[in-house]
Amino acid sequence: MADFTDEFEPLFDYTRVQPLNNIVYLDDDDDVDEDCAKKRRKVSVPVVEKEKTDTKVVQVVDGEETEEDWLPPPPKVSNNVQIVVGEDSTLRELRLKKQELVSFAQSAKDMLQTVEESAKREFGNSLQSSFEAVSEKTPKPQPERVKIVICIQNKDEQKQFRIYMDDKFERLFKMYAEKQKLDPKHLVFSFDGDKINPSQTPAGLEMEDDDIIEVHVKSS
Amino acid sequence: MSGGIARGRLTEERKAWRKNHPHGFVAKPESGPDGSVNLMVWQCIIPGKAATDWEGGYYPLTLHFSEDYPSKPPKCKFPQGFFHPNVYPSGTVCLSILNEDSGWRPAITVKQILVGIQDLLDQPNPADPAQTEGYQLFIQDPTEYRRRVRLQAKQYPPVL
Repeated sequence: MADFTDEFEPLFDYTRVQPLNNIVYLDDDDDVDEDCAKKRRKVSVPVVEKEKTDTKVVQVVDGEETEEDWLPPPPKVSNNVQIVVGEDSTLRELRLKKQELVSFAQSAKDMLQTVEESAKREFGNSLQSSFEAVSEKTPKPQPERVKIVICIQNKDEQKQFRIYMDDKFERLFKMYAEKQKLDPKHLVFSFDGDKINPSQTPAGLEMEDDDIIEVHVKSS
Repeated sequence: MSGGIARGRLTEERKAWRKNHPHGFVAKPESGPDGSVNLMVWQCIIPGKAATDWEGGYYPLTLHFSEDYPSKPPKCKFPQGFFHPNVYPSGTVCLSILNEDSGWRPAITVKQILVGIQDLLDQPNPADPAQTEGYQLFIQDPTEYRRRVRLQAKQYPPVL
């Protein structure tokens, strides 16, 4: 068995394809486990910690290479085996099973992550091919001017308007008066009980989406 | 900590109010001269209902919330000497939904309080008088009562 893997490992690393290794370990339980464990330990132990951190970094930062690495590295598994050696066989079996499940879950997670990342990358690339300098890692590529939805409420109804946060209210008021076919001179707009100066902006009043502006028609 | 609960709830109330409130009403936490906001005291305006003697008046009301809010209701005050059968001389409103021992429920919102008080303006509750003058005129001299109400409406013109 040991020889068997020895021979084939350099040619094709099956552990990558089949991270669970369940067949191998089931066999191990019966006879050669110590051998196998020792051998594996020798190879893997020094690598374990490095590998762990390395792969993490690789997965997050370097999406290109993750395609190779989305399966959990074999050392993790063998590391467990090493601890287990010499313990009661049923305990060991349980432990191995648990390990299998964990690694299975991990591999699934990693795969998802990789897929997500590559999707994001592709999306980002196609979007931002024009602005090359902009990093795709900034959470939202902010448009230069933020828009806000504001409700204008009169006695009978509410109407929604979408305007720029830094746009003066006079534009909105004109728009509203035109829609309502009213003379803007007869309209008083207020927010939180205070009259709004047409030269103010939503940003200046710290307005949020869906905030209400009240309009009163002057009775004069 | 109950104070945290009160403030959390008031923050929510404030958010909800900004996005939805009846026309003509104002409700906002008091802010100091330095711009600091006191969530526990709200300055409000209740408009008199249209087609009533209260129409045209914009009545200032202050809500004082305690640390026990919303287990306990806020104290709601008009200006001192406000003319209404169910308003104490101090200005405090006497209304069942604002009474911890009868109608108050923690789920009652600021909007419901203010609308409830607007209803009370035109529909006093003679079973629960809080001031002598308003109550007696309401019972004994409806004409004079209405004159006084209309007069008071003129004392509180729109602020805009």
